[in-house]
Amino acid sequence: MAQEIIEDINPTRMELLKLKQREKLAVKGHSLLKEKRNALIMEFFNILDRVKGSREKVALNLEEAYKDLTAAQIAMGDLAVKKAAMSVKESIDVDVDSRSVMGVVVPVMDYDVQKRTIVERGYGFMDTSVRLDDASRKFEESIAQIIELGEIEKTITLLAVEIESTKRRVNALEHIIIPRLQNTVKYIEMRLEEMDRENFVRLKMIKKTMSESEA
Amino acid sequence: MTSKVAVIADQDTVTGFMLGGIKEGYPVEDMQEASKTLEDLVSKDYSIIITTEKIGDELRDKINSLTSERALPMIIEIPDKSGSIERETDPLRELIKRVIGVEMVK
Repeated sequence: MAQEIIEDINPTRMELLKLKQREKLAVKGHSLLKEKRNALIMEFFNILDRVKGSREKVALNLEEAYKDLTAAQIAMGDLAVKKAAMSVKESIDVDVDSRSVMGVVVPVMDYDVQKRTIVERGYGFMDTSVRLDDASRKFEESIAQIIELGEIEKTITLLAVEIESTKRRVNALEHIIIPRLQNTVKYIEMRLEEMDRENFVRLKMIKKTMSESEA
Repeated sequence: MTSKVAVIADQDTVTGFMLGGIKEGYPVEDMQEASKTLEDLVSKDYSIIITTEKIGDELRDKINSLTSERALPMIIEIPDKSGSIERETDPLRELIKRVIGVEMVK
């Protein structure tokens, strides 16, 4: 592996120059990709801080919300809850924007979930239970958290995919392509030197035979 | 651009989120219906789709093909009324582990 060279190569000066160009380009690309990888990983760590425990928080909140919902359904009946739910007004307003992290487009949520009072929700008081108010409030809270969680998880997934492929490319350049180019350059240089020496010896021999025949 | 949010889940979950203020609730009975609704919503440019973990597990391949490597739509899976599904490994944690090489979160 370490001594691997590019096959079918002619040991000529032309080829040597081309290879040196390629090596230069590969080294440059490698250092750029390495920087990209480092920047991505830094971003990844930043977002990791935010993900800690947020899924658990959402699950916990939802569990309570479902409990209240069930209680409301028991108190009012399934149909009445559904009816009340139909008349609730839209509460969330989400703007999805995107931002680019080293060429990876990640979503940025700009959301606004109104914390509404019971009057603003839009269902009547006559036939609804107080449990329904609790359930609505908890679901409102959960929605905000869910949207945030979604944003974080999506960002993590997208970044992870990009980091993986960048890592693979960095490693391929570092461990395979650049060494192979270097080895090939070395091989051609050695061949050229060898040819030089052969030529030198040949010239000497010719000179010797010429001077012998003259004498 | 104001984005649209929708919920695809069982009847109770949809009712709950309607109470919370998401008007676009699509109660589904079985997986065929869920799958069809999901396709429909994605084609209609919904940017956030909330669904349950059960549906998410069943339609994993479809969700992956719809969302991976794109910023939108965002499909978020949440636990339903019976609580979250206990998994041996958290897929997100697996992913982090694979990328960083070591266990990071907890």
